[in-house]
Amino acid sequence: MRNPKSGIVIGYSSRIGVAALILGVSLITAGCAASGGNHVFFGKTDPPRENVLRYVSGSEPESLDPQISAGQNEARIYMALYEGLTEYDPKTSAPVPAIAERWEVNKDFSEITFHLRKNARFSNGDPITAGDFVYTIRRGLTPEVASSNAALAYYIKYAEAYNESAVFVFDPDSQTFLLEKDFAGVEEQPTAPASATGTTPPARTPGPPLSSQPVESVAAEYPPIPEEQTPDADTPFHRFMHSPARVVLPADDKGRKKALDANPKLRAAVAGKQFLPVKAENVGVEAVDDYTLRISLAQQAPFFISLMAHQFFRVIHRNTVEHFGHAWTDPHNIVTSGAFKLEAWQPYDRLVVARDPMNWDASRVKLDHIVFYMLQDITTMINLYRAGELDAMYNHTVPPAWLEVIAPMKDFMDAPEAGIEFYRFNTTKGPTKDVRVRKALNMALDKKAMADWRHVQPLTAFMPTGIFPGYPQPKGDPFDPDKAKHLLVEAGYGDASGNFDPEKFSASEIEIVTNPDGSNLPYAEFIQAQWKQNLGVTIQIRIMENKTFQAAQAKLDYKGISRFGWSADYMDPFTFLGLFYTPTGNNGTGWWDPKYVELLDEANRTVDHQRRYEILAQAEKLLLDAQPVMPLVVATTRWMKKPYVKGMYPNATTLFPWKWVYIERDQAKWDYGVPNMSE
Amino acid sequence: MLRFIIRRIVVIIPMLFIVVSLTWGLIRLAPGNFYTGEKKLTPAIEKNLREKYGLNRPWYVQYGKVLWNIARFDFGNSLKYEGQSVNQILFRGLPVSATLGLSAYLLALFVGITTGTLAALKQNSWIDYASMVLAMIGISIPNFVLGPLLVLIFALNLFWLPPALWNGFPSKSIVLPALTLSAIYIAYIARLTRSGMLEVMRSDYIRTARAKGLSETQVVFRHALRGGLLPVVSFSGPALAFLITGTVVVERVFALPGLGNYFINACFNRDEPLIIGIVAFIAVTVLGFNLLVDISYGFIDPRIRY
Repeated sequence: MRNPKSGIVIGYSSRIGVAALILGVSLITAGCAASGGNHVFFGKTDPPRENVLRYVSGSEPESLDPQISAGQNEARIYMALYEGLTEYDPKTSAPVPAIAERWEVNKDFSEITFHLRKNARFSNGDPITAGDFVYTIRRGLTPEVASSNAALAYYIKYAEAYNESAVFVFDPDSQTFLLEKDFAGVEEQPTAPASATGTTPPARTPGPPLSSQPVESVAAEYPPIPEEQTPDADTPFHRFMHSPARVVLPADDKGRKKALDANPKLRAAVAGKQFLPVKAENVGVEAVDDYTLRISLAQQAPFFISLMAHQFFRVIHRNTVEHFGHAWTDPHNIVTSGAFKLEAWQPYDRLVVARDPMNWDASRVKLDHIVFYMLQDITTMINLYRAGELDAMYNHTVPPAWLEVIAPMKDFMDAPEAGIEFYRFNTTKGPTKDVRVRKALNMALDKKAMADWRHVQPLTAFMPTGIFPGYPQPKGDPFDPDKAKHLLVEAGYGDASGNFDPEKFSASEIEIVTNPDGSNLPYAEFIQAQWKQNLGVTIQIRIMENKTFQAAQAKLDYKGISRFGWSADYMDPFTFLGLFYTPTGNNGTGWWDPKYVELLDEANRTVDHQRRYEILAQAEKLLLDAQPVMPLVVATTRWMKKPYVKGMYPNATTLFPWKWVYIERDQAKWDYGVPNMSE
Repeated sequence: MLRFIIRRIVVIIPMLFIVVSLTWGLIRLAPGNFYTGEKKLTPAIEKNLREKYGLNRPWYVQYGKVLWNIARFDFGNSLKYEGQSVNQILFRGLPVSATLGLSAYLLALFVGITTGTLAALKQNSWIDYASMVLAMIGISIPNFVLGPLLVLIFALNLFWLPPALWNGFPSKSIVLPALTLSAIYIAYIARLTRSGMLEVMRSDYIRTARAKGLSETQVVFRHALRGGLLPVVSFSGPALAFLITGTVVVERVFALPGLGNYFINACFNRDEPLIIGIVAFIAVTVLGFNLLVDISYGFIDPRIRY
């Protein structure tokens, strides 16, 4: 998920003039009087009279359609209005059963069967069935819906093809479709392990996933299930899924010509064949019966279940969407599936949800209402919280300047975030093309000092520390300015006597490019100062307005270094390592290594959890050795909640399943400090 | 008079055309799109989005559509806020901005004219000096400083008023934003009134009025104020237009759902129809209020005839 340093702070702290000083005198007396009261908590701690939680959701939601909007500000609201097959655990953010009571995964993580609870209902009383999930996923992938989150579902068989309006190739003579395996391009089949070095274990034969191989019976495909017989029937659709993958080509002539030019064998074969568009019905989701949903994947994806709680996969009501079109999310039309239903929506102001008595778990939902305020200005949020008009805030709402005051308070919440800050190197041009230069720049930055200064954690490797228990994290290079200079000499920036010569180093060919949000600029200035101090080189900082910046990054149109942040889409290391799975997309560095991709593929084929983590860690090591990125810090979440708010925990995602949140009126049971996370 | 008004109304059309075209061109020049984010979209998804919103059509088709939309007073749908029309957003944001703006405006007129008149009548007294010092302070403190200061005192220390949010009118929630917004206008109006009054009070017709034996109250209210307020009128017409069409900073600091808040976000979001809609609306309002000011001159100042 994009991480533009959530929230925009208007800089009225920066330019308080003389005039403010005049008034300030009168304030000092007032300020002293007020701060004398409550030192344990920040501001008022009177619980609201009703069972209501007043929360801030961030900037205005783009839409109440969970498949349209991609942001966290919307996710906070969707968590109340819609439910998925799974839900995030309030403490670990790992998937826990929701509308799916349980699920089974086939032997190589390429097919999953979800068993739905029979009492799940929409807010209008309609039962939620497997068919609704089939509709939801197909609809999210429909090209005309143009969901920007659709790529999350690309792991499902033919989902990408359908979303891209691609075509199958049909042979009218033999009444068969052309198959991918007959025309496999060079880049499609990773050929192991001729290039493998000693440290890389030989990859296993990379056959197609089980979901693309014919099976004798469904039971044979899944590991034995002890508690009950598998009820899943084999079906024509299941057999279609289990047939070898078909050739998929772009629908437009230009794209197709390009694809065919790259594969002459295929070009010869398509002559005289028909192009049939990939349809919604071809996407690998199947309602085996009303309460059994089977999803066939195009590849092995052990992280797929943790994706199911994402907003894109939360179930929506077919009749409502089809009947009202665009207007289905209007307050008088909307039908929802979550523990809460929409009561009122005043855009740019507030959105009120009420407990939905239709929800299958309604008896356990304790809040009657949640009021989401659409606020963007952090100072305004802090003011409202302090005045007791907000009960909790979202992540990054305590800015560094406030930490000294707020961090000692008992209602301050903090945890390492499933999100990282790093700089990208442009590995395609300039001095940063040389890995030694990249390594030297990385080694010449004291990340610990920087992290201490901003009260966060330093990041030497790429994976956020402590988020994935049992992950054998490799170590990046430590802070070592001497070695950094040595490397720069090796890279050809030494003088006659073999010492590093800052004059020779072409610092003007490098810039630190950043957008101005949040702490990005202070970080850039710190790093600039470090390089000046440790290497004697001055690298300029270039600030770009957000959209301009992102447009430049996407095209690799930057000199040397550019800032980036990434927060997890789902709780698995792949959400971070996958950034460099393709040379395009979110890569942004120009670095791409087939060996790295091979390792990731192998990891995703690996059933054993710990073994998989080990292979992923090898991939991370490879990434760190090539240094296309300079890891900086792990963000920490930093927010506040009143002591009477229970059921909200400082987890890594700061997304909360609202049905478990409640207002505690007994002061003895209040949270004094971070609540117990291990219970 | 009627001819003058018609001529002025006709002029609005080319003005609007220029404003809209310039805005449209500037949005084109700004890099990035409403869907550009840190997370890069796959080409297929980007293509789907461009097709859905008609961005793949040639520029003259898109430009033509913008003009055609404006001719019909229908600005189309927002790109960012799925399924919401720009008109809907305008009609939702305007009442909030207008309520706030009008409250601030009336407050500014009342306080400003009163202090300005008092200062002029008691020239060089302590009232004059005190009110002009306060006016200087009002002009020099930007509202992004004044707003938080007022919040600090009245919301966080005294707990009298809410620090932010909108609870309609009348409610406690409008007091601080209206005060913040009006401060600079109070200051300007007070100074304009004072100088205007000082000038008028020395003029011949006031001397005549006094010579007729009118009481001082009658001199001030019936004769002096009419002339003395002319500068205030020409200042406050456009000021009202800007006040009721939304004020970015105050709406942001107090988290009010007004047009200013929509406008600033529309720019950040590159939400073309919404930006153009709001710009066109503000342009028409400002031109309209200027016209009103000119017309009102005819009534206030006996020397002006159309």
